[in-house]
Amino acid sequence: MASITLEPIAPLGGLDLQIGHNRVIEQVDLALVSIAIPLGGDDVLAQRLQDHWGLASPEPTQTSTCDDWRAVSMTADQIMLIGQGDRPTTEAEIAAKLNGTGYTTNQTSAWVCLEVSGPDTVAAFARICPINLALAAFPIGASARTMMDHLGALIIRLDDDCFQVLSASSSAASFAHAVETSYRNVT
Amino acid sequence: MTQSERIAGGLINRSQKLTFTWNGTSLSGFEGDTLASALLANGQHLVGRSFKYHRPRGIFSAGSEEPNALVTLGSGAAQEPNTRATMVELADQITAQSQNHRGPLGWDLMTVNDLLSSFIGAGFYYKTFMWPRSFWEKVYEPVIRASAGLGSLSGIADDSSYDHGFLHCDLLIIGAGPAGLMAALTAARAGLQVIVADEDFLPGGRLNAEMYQIDAMPGAAWAAEQVAELAQMDNVRLMSRTTVYGAFDHGIYGALEVAQPGSDSTKPRQIVWRIYTKRTILASGATERSMIFANNDRPGIMQAGAVRSYVNRYGVGPGRHVAVLTNNDDGLRTAEDLRAKGITVTAVLDARKGEAVKNTFGRRRVSGIILQDDTSLAVDCLAVSGGWSPNVHLSSHQRGRPVWDGDIAGFIPGADQSPGMVVCGAAKGVFGLAAVLESGARVAGDIATDLGCHAKIDLPDTSNEAVGTAPIFDLAASKGRAWVDLQNDVTTKDIAIAQAEGFTAAEHMKRYTTLGMATDQGKTANVLGLAVMANLQNQTIAETGTTIFRPPYTPVSIGALAGRARGQNFRPKRLTPSHQWARENGADFVEVGTWIRPQWYKRPGEKGWRDSVDREVRMTRASVGICDVTTLGKIDIQGRNAAEFLNRIYANPFLKVPVGKVRYGLMLREDGVAYDDGTTARLSETHFIMTTTTANAVTVFRNLEFARQCLWPDLDVHLNSVTDAWAQFAVAGPNARALLSKVVDDLDLSNAAFPFMACTDCTVFGGTLARLFRISFSGELAYEVAVPSRYGNAMMAALIKVGHDFDAVPYGTEALSVMRIEKGHAAGNELNGQTTAHMLSMGAMVSQKKDAIGTRLSQRPEMIRDDDLRLMGFRPVDGGDTLIAGAHFLTQGADASMANDQGWMSSVAYSPSLGHAVGLGFLKRGADRIGETIVAHSPVRGGDILVEVCSPHHIDPKGERQRG
Repeated sequence: MASITLEPIAPLGGLDLQIGHNRVIEQVDLALVSIAIPLGGDDVLAQRLQDHWGLASPEPTQTSTCDDWRAVSMTADQIMLIGQGDRPTTEAEIAAKLNGTGYTTNQTSAWVCLEVSGPDTVAAFARICPINLALAAFPIGASARTMMDHLGALIIRLDDDCFQVLSASSSAASFAHAVETSYRNVT
Repeated sequence: MTQSERIAGGLINRSQKLTFTWNGTSLSGFEGDTLASALLANGQHLVGRSFKYHRPRGIFSAGSEEPNALVTLGSGAAQEPNTRATMVELADQITAQSQNHRGPLGWDLMTVNDLLSSFIGAGFYYKTFMWPRSFWEKVYEPVIRASAGLGSLSGIADDSSYDHGFLHCDLLIIGAGPAGLMAALTAARAGLQVIVADEDFLPGGRLNAEMYQIDAMPGAAWAAEQVAELAQMDNVRLMSRTTVYGAFDHGIYGALEVAQPGSDSTKPRQIVWRIYTKRTILASGATERSMIFANNDRPGIMQAGAVRSYVNRYGVGPGRHVAVLTNNDDGLRTAEDLRAKGITVTAVLDARKGEAVKNTFGRRRVSGIILQDDTSLAVDCLAVSGGWSPNVHLSSHQRGRPVWDGDIAGFIPGADQSPGMVVCGAAKGVFGLAAVLESGARVAGDIATDLGCHAKIDLPDTSNEAVGTAPIFDLAASKGRAWVDLQNDVTTKDIAIAQAEGFTAAEHMKRYTTLGMATDQGKTANVLGLAVMANLQNQTIAETGTTIFRPPYTPVSIGALAGRARGQNFRPKRLTPSHQWARENGADFVEVGTWIRPQWYKRPGEKGWRDSVDREVRMTRASVGICDVTTLGKIDIQGRNAAEFLNRIYANPFLKVPVGKVRYGLMLREDGVAYDDGTTARLSETHFIMTTTTANAVTVFRNLEFARQCLWPDLDVHLNSVTDAWAQFAVAGPNARALLSKVVDDLDLSNAAFPFMACTDCTVFGGTLARLFRISFSGELAYEVAVPSRYGNAMMAALIKVGHDFDAVPYGTEALSVMRIEKGHAAGNELNGQTTAHMLSMGAMVSQKKDAIGTRLSQRPEMIRDDDLRLMGFRPVDGGDTLIAGAHFLTQGADASMANDQGWMSSVAYSPSLGHAVGLGFLKRGADRIGETIVAHSPVRGGDILVEVCSPHHIDPKGERQRG
């Protein structure tokens, strides 16, 4: 066996941009695991999430949180857990706790995740995101799957002027370019 | 020039002088001017030449309806033709040029067209350019193309940036004139989220152009106060310089925002907004019409309302001796405003009293008019008011048909408007300031109530001015040419020709004469044209009907529509996980859909791509090659019924695939035609990983979702695209096993323990998660190993490093393609949407013991004929010949005709393994013709090549290598 250890590379190499008073940071150490809800198994899974993590099943367009995870409603039959610190065993550990009450899929490498913040963020995202990001319409904790500059994306509001946005990792550079251009066009 | 025609007053900022260039001459204006007002201030009335007859043309309006004053702004990359001077906000150092003339503007050589006008009336080109036939493309077309159009592009790429955006509101108000402002105030005070969009850079609409009094202050000052209040409100977005150009489905509107000239050039010059709104108020005002009389197109003949705009808003005298011609009371008010500014009003001709203009004269500008009694009056400006046409356009964008309102002599919106839209003010045919303000307030109040808010109607103190429009359009007092559509050079005579030739419907007349086309879309012309048409048909305008309108309301540049999607940013790019390694190791990249993939890796000394590709194929087949195949679609399928689901998706059986095994699958469309193939691995009883072709990854996923959600919602099946989640590498060649045994942790890779079509979860390099599949696209002993994609770059480097002992070589898409053709695997060229399983020699795979998508229709007699096309291999009889994809097969000696067509070559490559070209293709009765020599005929790319029919498996037809 060759003495080689594979080192991961974040899709954007750990992007960290300051644009005016706004900041774009690539979140490089996230773990993402999706959980599909077995047909007819909503209540069982919800109970399991509550029992093991104290995590409520998120309603559509909403998120729920516990100490380690944020749960996002992705589709009618699927949620995604987003947490800090990925390990090779993360998905397996979750699967073990679910014990067949949900089907897990490792999504950590599938997405690039940006935390975007600053006073121009809503204006910048109005250039690429069709979702109404007014605070009243999209409050803290809200989430939406949408398109940004022709790329599928997931957006979560973390604070008044702070969002977590995720898109496909293979097109991360195009996504980051779209976000950066949006900021530069409004600042 | 020194702004010789500037007069007192106006809303311009005289402390901010601006310099601009017109046809090479430096002129000046003030902040608050448009290019049109600044040109008039400098006495520049002649600003262009007409479309067809090259008649002198001047500024006709003061708004977006301008038909004449189309100019070219800027030069080089920033050159923008056909820009309405009336809509150009003056900025320092802008340059503008007149259009559509050969030679100087004042001496246009093409005025010869005007002398030939009798011969080039409406539709002349339909009848004139019929013969000789040889002239169609060589003479007529070049001449017509050279003559057509107005301004021209520079041919240099525009380096400005453009953007798109999305906005949301409760209420979109289109127009910030008196009705729009009143509506905005009412709705905003009630708490609605309001967007107010206005095409002008100064909100207020006609309030800025008239001498109205509201609440004992000038109308313009009142407008400014209201705008200031709105600007302070958090629930209001005021968008000046923004034209709502289209009303689309579901409360979505398109709007074009133009940056203030001279603003930061690093920011987008124009933005196309998509506005989502619950309700819309159309407060777009009205457009003043001209009247029809001989030579009514000369520079200096203007809308009366425009004259008031230039005098009252811009402090410019459009003439020093002005006559007024009107069919309503606006004309009388024009005379009052002119006199108040000290301008001589030579005559006021009220058509309602039978007064008219019979003709005009003057070469580059009107210098006089002739009255009915043939007396002449010396004038340098004629202000004409033929009444007002409500701007109903946006109410028509979803097939709303305007209706004629005889009381105002104009079309008003019909009942079938866009859902959620209400119309108010002049756009609805409401004239009189007090009535307009109330109209805006009432509709906004109703909408606020409807949306659950309480609105208070608080109207300012003002009055209604007299209007009294009489439906008099065509004075018809002389025999001279009288213009109906200034922009398209359509005269009353043209409409008569159309009528005489049977184009008696409004839509037909428009298309035959071009009336109402081009940048102004007939805003000043349509009603006049219909009036002439009605007169010719001896009926009313209401009986004649009208054309309707579609987006855009005013022109939108292609650059704005494209937004950022240009050049490198035309579409997103997807990079493979090992992209960085490939870039550092000599890869030459190719676009594969949105993916950027290495197509080969150049080594020192290689003179062309063939050298690289041939080497990669040879070394892979001789030892081992590595290719990043991440781009193949990967779909994670889980659930209690996942196997049943796949069994219904694939044409071949999947119900009993064992855990730890991979099976090749063929998907059919519902009509039985093959559309995708790939391998699907079973990782557990409830867990499969499907691979699709790169091209069909999205289509297959979408179809699976449709099947899951709509066809079989009773199945417990769940899907995730994991294409981006896993970096996958093909490791192919006789030393693939030896190489991977140094990579994979604790796994017996012997043929007995991990045979062909085996799969497993595993780890590599001491603990990195991985999946291993023993599958082969190249036909060699091969595996595909997958790791989480963030480890993909390191994995590629590690595989090459470990493979050093075996002379492992990275290979790109070209070598991949060569090897699959050598092996006889079908790919996109063979799965082209026309081919069946039978044609692909996979007919036996279509199980008749179960039902799957496409199974039934794949068994139609025509799709399983034994004498039909069959996928075969081909090699040139002369080993030195190159094969051509797309060539059609003929039996030797047969004529190249459709009747003799025997099939086609779908894929070709040079096989470095065999030393000659190889091909795949479809041949009639192919399976029975192995060894036959036929002709590959390519009339497009040249020549006939003799080819021998052979097995499609040019290499290892028994599959011993991949199973070894």
